[in-house]
Amino acid sequence: MGKLRHLDIGTGGEVSVNWFINGVKKRIKTEKLDKYNLMYPSILEGVSDYNCPTEAINNGKWNMDKCIFCRQCDLNPTGKQDTYSIDQKIPGIFKKSLYLYPVDSGTCGACNVEFTTLFSPQYDSSRFKIFMANTPRHADALVVMGVHTEGMEQILREAYDAMPEPKIVIGLGACALSGGIIGRSAMEKYDIRIAGCPPTPASILNAIIEARGKK
Amino acid sequence: MKYYEFGDKTGRYVGRTEKYDVYASTLAGIGKDEDDHEERTPGEIYFNYGPSAGGLRESVNFSILTPGEAIRDVIINSGFKRRNIRITGDSISDVMLKVERINGFHSASHSIAYALAVEDALNVDNSDLNDARIVEIELERIRSNIDVIKGLCESAGFAVPEKQLLLLREEVARIISTAFGHRYYFSVNGINSVDGDFSRITLNSVEKQFRSLYDGLLSSKIFLDRIQENGIVSDPLSTGPAARAANFRYDARLDSGSLNYGKYSTVMESSGDTFSRFLVRAEEILESINIIESYDIKKIYRKNRMELNGSGEGTARIESPAGDLFYYVKINEGRIMDIQMSSPSYLNMRNFRYALKNGNIFTDFFFVWESFGIWISELEVRFQ
Repeated sequence: MGKLRHLDIGTGGEVSVNWFINGVKKRIKTEKLDKYNLMYPSILEGVSDYNCPTEAINNGKWNMDKCIFCRQCDLNPTGKQDTYSIDQKIPGIFKKSLYLYPVDSGTCGACNVEFTTLFSPQYDSSRFKIFMANTPRHADALVVMGVHTEGMEQILREAYDAMPEPKIVIGLGACALSGGIIGRSAMEKYDIRIAGCPPTPASILNAIIEARGKK
Repeated sequence: MKYYEFGDKTGRYVGRTEKYDVYASTLAGIGKDEDDHEERTPGEIYFNYGPSAGGLRESVNFSILTPGEAIRDVIINSGFKRRNIRITGDSISDVMLKVERINGFHSASHSIAYALAVEDALNVDNSDLNDARIVEIELERIRSNIDVIKGLCESAGFAVPEKQLLLLREEVARIISTAFGHRYYFSVNGINSVDGDFSRITLNSVEKQFRSLYDGLLSSKIFLDRIQENGIVSDPLSTGPAARAANFRYDARLDSGSLNYGKYSTVMESSGDTFSRFLVRAEEILESINIIESYDIKKIYRKNRMELNGSGEGTARIESPAGDLFYYVKINEGRIMDIQMSSPSYLNMRNFRYALKNGNIFTDFFFVWESFGIWISELEVRFQ
């Protein structure tokens, strides 16, 4: 191992970076939601008699809420990033601003990371007027991730109760929706159900945009 | 068990499973913990933070003992999101689906460590996959270390480098996805098998971007002032980058036989503060790129779905991005009867507390927390 470069710090001559200029020089990195596609997770098509460990295939029918996209069955991935279903549209009052408050009920961490990726330069959720709230008091939507756990049951209920009306609940990922391969679902009812293990950032944004409807 | 035996403690302490204290080459009974929390004195309060709050990615609660600004101690309750995962009697491949989801962000490390333990138990020759598995883990380390440094920038309110590191983290996730078909390595690793196109791993752009960001951060005196001499800890009971930042040459890449890294040099620092942990994480990103490029694998591996019906006990220990990750498995006719897992988050959480109570104030909290790269998901798992 050679000399670490930080040892040169303070020897004089180093030029401090102007981060503002640095950021501008990198130019715009934000992408259209369909620019980057992947096969798993995405909508699956076809027929399979695979004995699915999460019962995502039952009598030949595919249930995306239960699917962990483990690639063991014969269903074919389409690449379509719309692995979600909408039970309740987002109230019109949130068309110009929607604040999300995430709650980790019992995740492996992957859903948490994908959720934070919404705020990356590539996805930049703020262009869709979607923001993150630091407290349920300021939130419009509760984003529930992970399986049911005893310790988080009351916390989840208190977070929901603390939110002002109107409010919506978004289930994020197979664990929250069905328990996936790990346990049981964190809540019984969701307004928006976003499947995947974990769901992709594009799928999460597509679901919210569709649930909110056109401007 | 090729690399471990039950017995007295030998060598350095690695961590704790539900049943055992894990050392470099032995599994011993769990020793007694000394509860040395500070007594609350008149005028001091416990300030509660979490388990669900802005700024916390996972659910965890901190009760911070403070007279106002200084942090005298912290009581950590990480058990809110404890998951009970049923594995007893499941097939080896079904358990793999669950092991991958113990820590999704370090899924390659967990799935490979589990596979190595099963292969040890069943005497499967896995030498052909040694290099491919190392490449997977090192690629995961790059993404994880980028994430830790991003967290430090976020704590400093350094929005531009934070977003640029977030962009870079996403670029690495896409490289992983392109090569392995999944952004988190789910369903990539199996017993004596890997599924991936290693020719798709190209890191030139990542290295160039990271070097530029790293140089920029090293020249940002405001950032360096925030992370130097805060969160100092130097404890022989430590692991991973936190240990190496405090001059302990602890690295499973050097002292575990589960994966053979060949000639490998460890990045070391000596101050044991947040700055040292930042330096070790950053230098290890560059070191991991060197390791991956030195293997230069262009092969496509396809998973074989072999069903194994043997019986036995096996262990494995590898260097996950945060430190030593240990697995023990007991198999009876192809069914998993017991798993014992020791994650680096166990020792890192312990040292986070010691670092935090070592002369820090409230505004230091997030720097210290982010610098350890702790995952509650792998800390709070109980196998049933």
